[in-house]
Amino acid sequence: MSSDAIDMTEPDGRRHPPGDLAIWVFILAELAAFALLFILYGVVRAKHVELFNEMQLTLDRNAGALNTVLLITASWCVARAVAAIRKGADGASARWMACGILAGVGFLVVKGFEYSDKFDAGIGLDTNLFYMFYIALTFFHFMHVVLGLLILGFLLLKTLRGGYSADDHLGMETGASYWHMVDLVWIVLFPLVYVMR
Amino acid sequence: MQYKSQMVAKPYFIGALVLFVAQILFGLIMGLQYVVGDFLFPHIPFNVARMVHTNALIVWLLMGFMGAAYYMVPEESECELYSPKLALIMFWIFLAAAGLTVVGYLAVPYATLAKITGNDLLPTMGREFLEQPTITKIGIVVVALAFLFNLSMTFLKGRKTSITTVMLLGLWGLAIMFLFSFVNPDNLVRDKFYWWWVVHLWVEGVWELILGAILAFVLIKITGVDREVIEKWLYVIITLSLITGLIGTGHHYFWIGTPEYWQWLGSVFSALEPVPFFAMTLFAFNMVNRRRREHPNRAATLWALGTGVMSFLGAGVWGFLHTLSPVNYYTHGTQITAAHGHMAFYGAYVMVVLTIISYAMPLMRGRAANSNASQVLEMWGFWLMTISMVFITLFLTGAGILQVWLQRVSTTPMGFMATQDQVALFYWLREGTGLVFMIGLAVYLFSFFKDGKSAA
Amino acid sequence: MKSPISGLDVVWLLLLAGTAYTWWLGESGHAGTGTMMAILAIAGVKGALVIRDFMALRGVKLLWQAAVFGWLILVLAVNMAAYWNGN
Repeated sequence: MSSDAIDMTEPDGRRHPPGDLAIWVFILAELAAFALLFILYGVVRAKHVELFNEMQLTLDRNAGALNTVLLITASWCVARAVAAIRKGADGASARWMACGILAGVGFLVVKGFEYSDKFDAGIGLDTNLFYMFYIALTFFHFMHVVLGLLILGFLLLKTLRGGYSADDHLGMETGASYWHMVDLVWIVLFPLVYVMR
Repeated sequence: MQYKSQMVAKPYFIGALVLFVAQILFGLIMGLQYVVGDFLFPHIPFNVARMVHTNALIVWLLMGFMGAAYYMVPEESECELYSPKLALIMFWIFLAAAGLTVVGYLAVPYATLAKITGNDLLPTMGREFLEQPTITKIGIVVVALAFLFNLSMTFLKGRKTSITTVMLLGLWGLAIMFLFSFVNPDNLVRDKFYWWWVVHLWVEGVWELILGAILAFVLIKITGVDREVIEKWLYVIITLSLITGLIGTGHHYFWIGTPEYWQWLGSVFSALEPVPFFAMTLFAFNMVNRRRREHPNRAATLWALGTGVMSFLGAGVWGFLHTLSPVNYYTHGTQITAAHGHMAFYGAYVMVVLTIISYAMPLMRGRAANSNASQVLEMWGFWLMTISMVFITLFLTGAGILQVWLQRVSTTPMGFMATQDQVALFYWLREGTGLVFMIGLAVYLFSFFKDGKSAA
Repeated sequence: MKSPISGLDVVWLLLLAGTAYTWWLGESGHAGTGTMMAILAIAGVKGALVIRDFMALRGVKLLWQAAVFGWLILVLAVNMAAYWNGN
C-alpha cells in the first residue's frame, strides 16, 4: 500500500480532500494560473471599458451559456459516478462517467463551432486586447477540458475493467477532483467574459 | 552497481568534470577582463573566452546527462545497456569534437573558423551559445542520435519505469530542440524567435524533465521511499514545468519584434515557472524526511537537497524577479540577467549532475559510499561552491540594479561604458568570489582522490 | 425510504438555475454595478456549491477549504473592485 494512502480521518475528525494529495497540489497550481489570468482580465478591462463592452457583444453568449450547462452537467455526472462506486455499484458508476464524458465532449464541440466562427472572421490573438484575453483564457481552459476528458476516459476504462471498488477508488476521486476544478474555472470565466458589462 | 554496462557512465562523468574545470578557468579570465579590459588581449579576447566558457558548460552538462542516463537506464530497465561499445566510442567522438571546437575558437579568428569549416554551405554560426561550426553541430546530432538509439533500445528491451520514460522524453526532446540550431532565417525576428526554441525549451523545458528524472532516481535510491510515491510526484512536477514553460517561452518574445500579446502571455505563464521548482524542493525535503533508511552517502543527499533549494532560488526566484514585461523593459540584457543565469544554471543543472555523480561514482568504484573523510571533503566542496555562487549572484544583482538605475531609469541616463565604470567594484567582488568557487571546485575534485576507511 | 433525489441532484439544479439567471441578465441587456454584483454573487454561490459538494471539500481540513474558497473570493473580489474603478 502506497505510503501516501492516508487514513481519511484525522484525530480531530477533519479529512483530507478526496483523491491523492498530488492532484491537489496540481489543482492549486492550475487555480493559481487561472487566478493570474482572471485578475489581469479585471484590471485590464477597467482600463478599456468601452472596448471590452463593445467586443463582448460580438461573443456568442448562448454558446457560452450552453457550455456552462454542459460542464455543470458533466460535473454532476462525475460526482454521481463517484457516489455510485462508493456503494460498489461499478456498473452505474461507469454509466454516469460515460454521460459525464459525453457532456464534456459536447463542450468541446460547441467551443469548436464558436472558435471556427471567430477565426473565419479573421479574429486572432492580435486583434485587440479583449480578444487576446478571450482567446488566451478560453483556449487555456479548453486544453484543460481536453486533459480532464482524457483523465475521465482513463477512469471509465478502469471502471469497466473492474478496477475500482467500494473500498478502493482513490484514483476515481483523484480524477474527479481535477474535473471539478475545470468546471469551477468555467463557472467564473463565463460571467466575467461573456456577461458582465 | 547492478549491471556491468553501467560503467560506461564513468568516462562521461570524468569528461564532464574536466570540462567543468575548463569552464571555470575561462570564467575567471572573463571576470578579470570585465575590469582589466585588455587582460590576455589579443590572444584570448573576451568574446573568445566567453564562447569557451558557455560552450564548455553546455558540453559538460550534456556529458553529465549522458553519463546519468547510461547509469540509470540499465538499472531501471533491469537489463544491460544495448551497446556499451557504442557508448564508449561516442564518448571519445564527443570529447574530440568538443576539444577541436575549443581549439578552433582559441587558435583562429572566428571568421576564419567559419570559412575553413564551410559555414557558408549551411550557415549556423554566429549566434550566442550556438557558435559551434556547422560540422560540430552535425557531430553533436550524430552523437545524440547514437546515444538515444542505445538507450531507447535498452528501454524497449527491459522494464519501463516512469523515471526512464521521463528521462528519455527529456533527452529526445533535447535532441529534437537542438535541430532548431540549424534553422537560420534571414528575418532577424524569426531568427531570434526560433533561437529560443533551442535555449528556452532546453533549460526551461525538456532539461527540466531530465532534472526531475535524475533527482527522482537518486531520491528513490538514497531514501528508500516507495517508488510509486516518488514517480507520482515526478509526473506532477514535469507537468507543471511544461504547462508553465512552454508558453513561458514568451518571456523571451517581449522585445524582438513579435506581436504584443507575447507581453501578456509571456509574463503570466513565466511568472508561474517557479512553481515546479518550489514543488521539487518540497518534494526532495519531504522524501528525505520520510526516508526508510540511512544511506551512507550523505554527500549525495546533500547535493540532492541543495539542487532543490538552489534551483528554486536561482531559476525560480531570480527568474521571477525579471520575468514580468514591465520589469524586463528596464532589466533586459543587464547584469540582472547574468545574475539569474549563473545561479539558475548552477542550482539546477550543475548541481543535479554533481548529485548523480556523487551517488553513482562510489558505486562504480566498488562501494556504496565514499569514506567519511572523502565525503567531508566533498561536502566542503559543495558549501564552498554553493555559497560563493550565492555571493556571485548577489554581487551581479547589485551591479545590475545599479546599472539599470544609472543607464535606464535615472532622469539623466549614462551610457553603457560609463555605467560599467561605476559598477566595477561589484565586478571585483565577483571575481574574488569566483576564485573561492574555483577553490571549492578543487576541494570537490580532491575528494575523489581522498582515501580513508570506506563508509560502506 | 431513501430519497431518489440525492443532494448532488439538488446542487445540479441550483447550478442550472444560477446559469439560467445569469444568461437572462445578459440577454436582457442589463448592465451597471447592481447587475455586475448580482452576476458575480451568483458565480460565487455556484462556485461555492461546486467546491463544497462536487469537490466534496465540505468538512475537509480548513486549510484546504481556505485555499480553494480563497481563490474564488479573490478572483471575484478583484473583478468587482476593478469594475468599480473602471466603470
